[in-house]
Amino acid sequence: MKKRHPHKSKILLVNITRLGDMLQATPTIAGMKAENPDCHITVLVEKQFKEVCSVIPNIDEVIGIDLGFTCRSIAREQDGIIDAFEYVTELVEDLRKQNFDYCLNMSSSAYTALLLNLIGITRNGGWTADEEGYRVIESEWARLFAASVFHQNRQFNSLNLVDIFRCSADVEEHPRKLLINVEPSAKEYCASLIREAGFTNKGPLIALQAGASQGKRQWDPQKFVQLAKILVNEHNARVVLTGSAKESHIIDPIVAGCASPNVVSCAGKTSVPQLAALVEQADVLVTGDTGTMHMAVAVDTPVVAMFLASAFGFETGPYSEGNIVLQPVIGCGPCNPNKSCARPDCHEQISPELMAHLTMARVAGEVLSVPVELADPRRVIVYRSCFDQRGFCDMTPINQVGGDAFARYRSAYRKLWLDDLGGYEVREGSKPEAQRSLRVVESPIDGLVEVAACAEKGQQLIKELVHLVKDTSSPAARLGTINKEISELDRHIEELGFHHGSLGPISRMFIFAKENLQGSDPLDLASQMERVYQDLERRCRKFERYYIDS
Amino acid sequence: MSNLTKLAEQMRQDWDRRVGHDYRFWMSDGYQDDAQMWATGERDFAIVSAQVPNGDDKSALEIGCGVGRMLRTAAKEFGRVVGLDVSQRAIHKARELIGPDSRIELVVGSGFDLQPVESNSIDFLWSYAALTSMPTKVIASYLLEMKRVIKPTGVIRLQVYFGQHMGVSENDTLHLRCYSHENFRRAVELSGMHVSASQELILPIPVSFKEHGVEAVIVTLQPKDCAPEDADAIAQALLPEGESDTTAENAPLDLEAWMTLRYAEELADAGEHRRARQALDYVVSNCRATTIDIRDIIERILAKTERASRTSVRPEPVCIKGDAILLEQNLGVIRERFPALHTRLVTRTGSSEEAIELRQTEQGAVLWRKGACLDHAEKPLSAADTWVSRSLREVRFENASGVVVIGFGLGYHLEKFLEKSSCPVSCIEPSIEALRTALSARDLRSVLSKIQQLHVGGPSEDFRIDPKIELVVRPQHLALDAKFVEGWKAALYGKRGMAALHPKIAVLGPIQGGTIPTGLYTNNALLRWGQRARRLDMSGFNSGFNLVDEFLSTDVRKGMMRNSYVEMLSQLVLESLTEKPIDILICMAQAPISPRVLTELRRRGVITVLWFVEDYLRFTYWRELAQFFDFIFTIQKGECLSAIKKAGAGEVHYLPTACDPYLHVPMNLTAEEREKWGSPISFVGAGYHNRQQMFASLAHYPFRIWGSEWPLCKPFDRLVQEESRRIAPEEYIKIFNATAVNLNLHSSMERDGVDPSGDFLNPRTFELASCGAFQLVDERVLLSEAFEVGSEIVTFKDLPELREKIDYYLAHPEEREVINRRARARVLKDHTYDKRLEEMLSIIYASKYEHLKTREDSSPWSTMEKRSENHPELKRRCQVAAARGEEPTLDALISDIVTGNGKLSETEQKLLFLFHVRKQIIRMTREEAGLKG
Repeated sequence: MKKRHPHKSKILLVNITRLGDMLQATPTIAGMKAENPDCHITVLVEKQFKEVCSVIPNIDEVIGIDLGFTCRSIAREQDGIIDAFEYVTELVEDLRKQNFDYCLNMSSSAYTALLLNLIGITRNGGWTADEEGYRVIESEWARLFAASVFHQNRQFNSLNLVDIFRCSADVEEHPRKLLINVEPSAKEYCASLIREAGFTNKGPLIALQAGASQGKRQWDPQKFVQLAKILVNEHNARVVLTGSAKESHIIDPIVAGCASPNVVSCAGKTSVPQLAALVEQADVLVTGDTGTMHMAVAVDTPVVAMFLASAFGFETGPYSEGNIVLQPVIGCGPCNPNKSCARPDCHEQISPELMAHLTMARVAGEVLSVPVELADPRRVIVYRSCFDQRGFCDMTPINQVGGDAFARYRSAYRKLWLDDLGGYEVREGSKPEAQRSLRVVESPIDGLVEVAACAEKGQQLIKELVHLVKDTSSPAARLGTINKEISELDRHIEELGFHHGSLGPISRMFIFAKENLQGSDPLDLASQMERVYQDLERRCRKFERYYIDS
Repeated sequence: MSNLTKLAEQMRQDWDRRVGHDYRFWMSDGYQDDAQMWATGERDFAIVSAQVPNGDDKSALEIGCGVGRMLRTAAKEFGRVVGLDVSQRAIHKARELIGPDSRIELVVGSGFDLQPVESNSIDFLWSYAALTSMPTKVIASYLLEMKRVIKPTGVIRLQVYFGQHMGVSENDTLHLRCYSHENFRRAVELSGMHVSASQELILPIPVSFKEHGVEAVIVTLQPKDCAPEDADAIAQALLPEGESDTTAENAPLDLEAWMTLRYAEELADAGEHRRARQALDYVVSNCRATTIDIRDIIERILAKTERASRTSVRPEPVCIKGDAILLEQNLGVIRERFPALHTRLVTRTGSSEEAIELRQTEQGAVLWRKGACLDHAEKPLSAADTWVSRSLREVRFENASGVVVIGFGLGYHLEKFLEKSSCPVSCIEPSIEALRTALSARDLRSVLSKIQQLHVGGPSEDFRIDPKIELVVRPQHLALDAKFVEGWKAALYGKRGMAALHPKIAVLGPIQGGTIPTGLYTNNALLRWGQRARRLDMSGFNSGFNLVDEFLSTDVRKGMMRNSYVEMLSQLVLESLTEKPIDILICMAQAPISPRVLTELRRRGVITVLWFVEDYLRFTYWRELAQFFDFIFTIQKGECLSAIKKAGAGEVHYLPTACDPYLHVPMNLTAEEREKWGSPISFVGAGYHNRQQMFASLAHYPFRIWGSEWPLCKPFDRLVQEESRRIAPEEYIKIFNATAVNLNLHSSMERDGVDPSGDFLNPRTFELASCGAFQLVDERVLLSEAFEVGSEIVTFKDLPELREKIDYYLAHPEEREVINRRARARVLKDHTYDKRLEEMLSIIYASKYEHLKTREDSSPWSTMEKRSENHPELKRRCQVAAARGEEPTLDALISDIVTGNGKLSETEQKLLFLFHVRKQIIRMTREEAGLKG
């Protein structure tokens, strides 16, 4: 694997706000520690998540940023703004004193980017900002992260964000699971919770995580009721509902709807460490795309996870082997996470009966198939999580017989990025006739020829630009014209990415690369630009090859 | 000793002292006897405990019970009553007055908590006329204690004042504390309680707090089921800027001394001489401000109590004459240093009305004028020393660049100022005769050689005014030369205000009529003066106002709907000024603003101004509105000023309209424009009666009439242009420029032709002159004050004269040109809106300087600037944003930061960081809301 910053000793990892994000960073953290056991890893999180970090292994220090205080101060306005400003000043000074030599920021927020520029860490593996306030993404993998989560491009990505994240940090050797520490005291506490729950059934303990970060990602509570009833009545199961006190308005109706001593709520009864212990006690966790799901992966509790609405299993699926992901097949999904939904029809694609079947199958062990009458692939695709031979997480459909319009593109892109960014050999299944000439002249992928041609033209324009720069007698007007042509060319490439959806990721990577040119020397910039066009052309070639091979 | 303990100790000492002097005076408004005191206690308890559940099983507590004025009544309604006060003397007196009563417990409190009262033990807690004099930190501590002791179902009633905080220092235990509604509510919330009701309290004293923007209220508090914050947070919520901890000595108005002196005078007038003397002894013994002025008052009161000339405090006056040699010596210095003044002194003509005389005292001569002593009648030297020492201790002299004293007297105080002040001293004397006499009475060469400036008379260009000098006025001149002093204050503080103050000003225009552009010109002039002004242009609502006619035909209904419409607009103005608060509101005539809104604005400390640019006899709405304005400026003098003042206006001043030198300009018009707008003779204005009557007789002239409300029948059918539509300012400026002879006839609805008693000048008079356009204007009483008639402006008094002059000036364009040039020069020098607004602001600032300064110093931007001392760039951003007139928000601080426009400074990055954090949290909060929704 190609590494940008091979040796890191004082590392700052910025992962501000979510439990799940923190857990998903654990393989990266472990990998960095494995590469350099003496390195010092500091995590910058939102203050209320400091507790979470106590269960994350390999972290040497946690710094909490009090966003709540900052916002309350700003909301007071007037001298509250000064309070907030002084807080930030103090925070920046404290972080500067730490003399970090590397930072990994996978939070795409503008404020973390600005913060990192203020701190002044020179080597970055994720997002930062330059001195003019522009977003800077130096690492190609980080750019891939950004390109992949760009809404139009999501369906073309099959790389789990955990892997993209760790590659941004140059981590190759890493645990193939998420990591969490569970304290014995937490285990004892949860064991007693289960003991004292008053279950009358003796069957498997099934944990249900009904809540999710977004309303549209929460499966209909009535369906949870039906699922719980099936589990309790037909499978002798004990059901425990997990969640925070804030989710009680979702969980209490489920418990009430079940009206069974074998359906018990532990919502609000566990801290984050204790939740991990509780999930560890369960035989299976049934969940949406939640932090609890990642927790279950970390404690090796089998998972059956529904990826509803804006959730996309390939992106944030359970980073593990053998866990089950259900992805509804619906024209509008996965939807935009920033938009609400008045009628999440995708919930209807998954029946309680299917969930009950998968849950019990997972209790029994590996799930390698599922009856089509329960899981119609035209309505829902059931995946099994796995790792490829390079250690990258993947998902294999276990009910699909073709039909996924994006599968082939995903496969092609997967190989492209592993090859082009990771430097991995990706030759399996490659057909001899796929050795193409250097130029793409026709392609089964709409628009690819045109993009490749633009890349070629871009290189020509750069050559002409360099010539004009070096030749001091050349008319300035021509330089202006070339620049204008380059701008228009770039715009065209971007538009092609919108017009031909399957080219979105390639086009977006190109745009990011262009946005991140560094320096002000014209010849150096020209050289960088030339490489960007070369990258684009090469990727078009490879993408086509891998697509044909798929 | 903690700060709270120190404050409590101060309270204890002060109140022990006061109670020791006269408990009835200091602790009630019924001071004649105990019976009256108990009666007031019963009255006030009924108010404060109205509708509170009581009974033998219920308990009550008063914070600041004093001598128990209300406790006896409370004990009739509650089974257990606790009276708590910090003053030992007060509690001791209460025990003595109330006697044994098993229901009443009297406790000497710590001054900041309610120990030993148990938690959750009180059903009703009240405090009346007590909390309001306590330091804010003590109030905060008590709020927490109230929450502790009150039962969950209990009720708290507090008498408080809402309004602008008056800059009371922390250790002041007498001045009233005022808080804003919002701050008080917030503080109560942080204390774990909430304000469930608030009721205005009409106080039984002849002081209108409302005039000063203060509202006395009884608030009802009830506990909430939540933990309170700490006392520091509560104190900060009450008064974010905090109270000054400086123990300012000898404040100009030492409240305790003045209250006691007034009390002493009332007692003396009522024949209570012994008590009057006791009060005087109290002042002398205890009040720090033992000034000569107070001593005079003390002596006056003593004189009243003695009633006999054999105990008179003043000796028989010994008159003396001036010395010619001394005069010559002193004039010698003046000749060298102040030659112009010297000339005046030697050529002056004395006035016997001045009644100037010199008298001898033990410490030297003193000067009397018009029956008042300009020095101290007995001890001019020591009096001068004390007065000057006291004056120089005032905080305002700390950073002064000079001292200007009004009143020369015989120079004793000037000697002391020159000796003790570290900055230059100047003097202004109202009377040339008094100064000359003074120069003959003492050797003043030393004073005259050291004094920086010496001036006699009102403000003039000869006297250099530095905005940082401080004015100090001899008390004698406050009464003798009130207008003189006022003029100098306006000159000094007006200039200072223009330099140092940055109030936010809104200019509110009318919905319709000729005053609309005046609002624009006023706002423009304010902006040119660098003031933070904005215009509330209400003219867009004109169509709505007039649409009423299309829906209704009955005048009564139309009037009713129009009133409602105006009230709605008035409310709109209030809402706008709530979103973006201001310090000064300038209303143009007929601006849509109601008494209710004006009252509310004044309650918020906004200075209200009306520029009444109308005939006060024709438009009489000022009668109802005058009382709601702090300042009214009129375009008429004489009876107008007195009538409006009598109607209740704060201050009334003459201020005519003017021209805008940037809009009313000479123009080079094209041939087409001249064709379109020009004429040998023109008139622009509405078709009032007298104009119609007079101009009909000019029909045979090449004459064009522009403006609304003109008839279109003969002979106007060929005169009136564009079907009598309203002409916009940018159009009439062209008409002025394109016309050879502009007629300017002031309107009258009753009279024909020229109004012989017409006084005010219309804006057109100045606008025409500013455009360099020739006008013939009707004779007006006030015209000769503004222009040199005949040289700068030409008038007519009747139709024949008008015709004659039209003919003459049409035939003499060169003479028109000469007059035009002179007129334009005159208006540009004396009659621009810039000049008018300078005068208006000077008057406002002179009168309200301290008020505006306090507001500015306690304004959020000021607070933020002080807080940003360690962050220079942030401070600068605050200053720039404040100067732009922005509200103190994060958005205001970042509005000019542009990504990609060069390197961002560290401060800019931090501010952008805060902006994005806020954005992110809002987004996440919405997501969470969506989760629940």
